[in-house]
Amino acid sequence: MAYEAQYYPGATSVAENRRKHMSGKVEKLREVSDDDLTLVLGHRAPGSDYPSTHPPLAEMGEPECSIREMVEPTPGAKAGDRVRYVQFVDSMYNAPSTPYFRTYAAAINFRGVDPGTLSGRQVVEARERDMEEVAKFQLETEMSCPALASLRGATVHGHSLRLPEDGIMFDMLDRCRLENGVVIMHKDQVGRAIDKKVDFGKPMSEEEAAKRTTIYRVDNVAFRDDAEVIEWVHTIFEKRTAYGFKPE
Amino acid sequence: MVEPVTNLEDLIQIEICPARFLSPETAERLLNELSNIEGITRAFVHGPRLPKTVPYGPATGHDVDHKFSKNIKIGETEMDLAVIVGRIRLEILNEEVRENIREVCERTLPMGYEFREGLFIQKRQTVSDFAKRGPNADLTTLGLADPKGKVGNRVCMLNPAE
Repeated sequence: MAYEAQYYPGATSVAENRRKHMSGKVEKLREVSDDDLTLVLGHRAPGSDYPSTHPPLAEMGEPECSIREMVEPTPGAKAGDRVRYVQFVDSMYNAPSTPYFRTYAAAINFRGVDPGTLSGRQVVEARERDMEEVAKFQLETEMSCPALASLRGATVHGHSLRLPEDGIMFDMLDRCRLENGVVIMHKDQVGRAIDKKVDFGKPMSEEEAAKRTTIYRVDNVAFRDDAEVIEWVHTIFEKRTAYGFKPE
Repeated sequence: MVEPVTNLEDLIQIEICPARFLSPETAERLLNELSNIEGITRAFVHGPRLPKTVPYGPATGHDVDHKFSKNIKIGETEMDLAVIVGRIRLEILNEEVRENIREVCERTLPMGYEFREGLFIQKRQTVSDFAKRGPNADLTTLGLADPKGKVGNRVCMLNPAE
């Protein structure tokens, strides 16, 4: 029987969502065009060529190396793209994803990425076109809600604050707004105004966000409700304590 | 609002913490209703700052033009909202005023709120206050602004004493 990877224990909706994010088997909810994505990332002008830091690998004449022969370079590495970043922020009020699960999703399902996990934000550094692939995947699927998650290259502190009345996570630089029932982004991820309003679609309703979230909360699905998760957390805690114990 | 009271020890302090950050329109409605209640000596509006320009990062210096940064009018006084309203701390004369304030909150904050009594605005000068303002500082502005900042553009008198 073929081995099937098991990602996360638990029987609750949160555990199920965590498994989905880690395995990359997430539902696609919206469409973001390549030009729109380039615009909000703010690293280059939409439609322009990818600037490069070195010639394509095929032209460089690589040294003989068994590892290089075994590992196929990513498209970005092959073309010699610059390393660029995308940074996501997820609200603590039932955002679909969290920094840890964005990192799991990137590291498990994509090659050549360097995810950085922080308490309130998650950054992925990669060759530009590889990074765009990760960003697009996370933006278009149920890993993001335009109201509760957003692209923020700098100034991320809204993730831990109460939501404003309109339900769009507070942003000191006001990059996202609710206009006619849809969330639009009118600045790039670091807060520079862009030429066009990029439409990210309707925000999730409170009920849908509670259903799709990967966050355990006492006012939704409490961590203590999931007996299997608790059992595994205890097991891992016990084992790492026992294995870390080193009497001299 | 009433005239400043010099004996701060007898006053009650309360904090209103809405379940959501208030839009300028709701904040204006709430503050206007509060300003009509007799018996509030001092009020302190607290929340995350709304900068005029991007303070750091690659876009430093670009205009922010925040949707929540608006001029609001309380009675006859206009003020520029430098924060998004998250909490309102009030110093009041007695328990009757507190119940009037609770009624206003019920009416203007449909999203729900927490309402508590405690010590939220300082009553005595700290060393920093003393160093900045000296021994004869006006006690009514105590605790309403950062002692290291400029009081003038942050403290607003709705009904200044003659």
